[in-house]
Amino acid sequence: MTASRETESATEPGAAARPVPVPDDLSAPYWAAAAEHRLVLARCSACAAFAIPPDQICPHCHSTTPGFAFEPVSGRGRVRSWTTIRQAFLPGFDRHVPFVLVDVELVEQEELRMVGRLLDGPDAPVRLGASVRAAFEDIAPGVAVPAFVLEGAR
Amino acid sequence: MSGRFAASNKVAVAGYAHSDVRRHISRPLGALALDTVRNAIADAGLRPEQVDGVVAASLFPTSGSHAAADGVSTVTAGWLAQRLGTDPRYVSSFQGIGQIPGAVATAVNAIAAGAADHVVMFRALHNPVGRYHANTMREAAGIDQWTVPQGFFGPLSMIGLPYNEYLQRYGADRESMAAVVVEARKNGARIPWSYWYERPLTTEEYLAAPMISDPVRRFDCDIPVDGVAAFVLTSAERARDLPHRPVYVSGYAGGASAARRLPLHWPLDDIMTGGEATVRRLFEHAGVKPEEVDLPQLYDGFSPFVYFWLELLGFCPRGEAHRFVQDGRIDADRPDGLPVLSGGGALGNGRMHGVPQMLECYLQLSGRAGERQRDRATVAVACQSSPHYGGAVVYSAAPF
Repeated sequence: MTASRETESATEPGAAARPVPVPDDLSAPYWAAAAEHRLVLARCSACAAFAIPPDQICPHCHSTTPGFAFEPVSGRGRVRSWTTIRQAFLPGFDRHVPFVLVDVELVEQEELRMVGRLLDGPDAPVRLGASVRAAFEDIAPGVAVPAFVLEGAR
Repeated sequence: MSGRFAASNKVAVAGYAHSDVRRHISRPLGALALDTVRNAIADAGLRPEQVDGVVAASLFPTSGSHAAADGVSTVTAGWLAQRLGTDPRYVSSFQGIGQIPGAVATAVNAIAAGAADHVVMFRALHNPVGRYHANTMREAAGIDQWTVPQGFFGPLSMIGLPYNEYLQRYGADRESMAAVVVEARKNGARIPWSYWYERPLTTEEYLAAPMISDPVRRFDCDIPVDGVAAFVLTSAERARDLPHRPVYVSGYAGGASAARRLPLHWPLDDIMTGGEATVRRLFEHAGVKPEEVDLPQLYDGFSPFVYFWLELLGFCPRGEAHRFVQDGRIDADRPDGLPVLSGGGALGNGRMHGVPQMLECYLQLSGRAGERQRDRATVAVACQSSPHYGGAVVYSAAPF
């Protein structure tokens, strides 16, 4: 499915740019899909388990030829934890602090966990087990980064 | 197959030295390390040429934009051995996390195998000018591409996530952690070389400090420093002829194979499941039972690690550490208090990684802890880093 098109203004005059991902042979499909606001994840061709991030070796079946292929996922999950970041250690995040990072277990697979920004703001009513769905931040032309929003909060 | 270490109690710590711990020391780190190593050798009653092994833990652990330079921001065993003016036959640096347990294991194994007779083991820490973890990267390539673009970066968010998971799961209050930090600073304030010497912290000061990665407050984090510590290890037999009472290395364990996750993603269950394995291997290796430990020096580079280690080592049930630490039960000044931070830890000394834990085990078990000396200190554990990634060492005042 296509995840929601939550976006955020990326470019303010004079603001430092956020670090942009550099796709490589393995990750190129992930970033190409993200640019279209679709979440796809690497799935091992040997055991069919998802891995975040993919690796030379499948973390589940330990195959040395996992042949990871990216498949669409729902982007839905539940919050396992969160933290409110109040100091920016990277360029481009000063204008975002404070912001919430959520640790999300996706519905597709037990313990399939992804960490991203919660775009509902620092005072969002986040709690353990809260439902979230993937959203995307357009941070540069043709570059979008996965994030999350609370389900039903908007 | 027994998990007991074949060389259990066959190697001992025979001496130590410690530099001042400061935000920035004007002398070059390498020179400070060499002075400290020479002081440790002298403390053990040895001459430099008798020390034929040099072991270091040399990782420079920052996520900031700092290039590690040997002798300046880190000191490897090779750098130091080259400048010691002797010709050591065994030189090795441990590069992983859990630097002190890893380096102790390397030194112990070398001595037990006969690769060296006397090993000096050291750790030199450097605090670069500027913000420790600030990074100027514009592009996130390789493994960074999976976390950096969304702002998941550095050790503060690393510890903020599992700490909050703990608080939420067990209904713990953030305020409970004050007991841990105040105890560390109380003890560190009594140590002359500590960055926090004569500067204890009150509960009110702890609570008034700002959040930096909720629920992590400023004083939940150790402060980056310059500082060096060195220890001399040798065989138990040789150690008995040296000036100080030997402290025996009974066993060690490291977090061997944590689940593969995003970089710096340490969910609470990973920490505790991996930590269970670390602790099980540790006690099997050392041949002791948890209830025999009377000096558990817990790692506190971030204060939540104290909760995790307390529960994993079996001092309180899972989810209860936040209650256990209250009401003076970890007060090292009370005869009935469990001394988990009597050496001040990293929170009370500065970011010396596992050094304060190891040093307190050595000082107490060798009877060299001065006014902090405890009546009963027989079996000690020195922990470092997260239980699933780092490691721990069991020390004993007597071979068994």
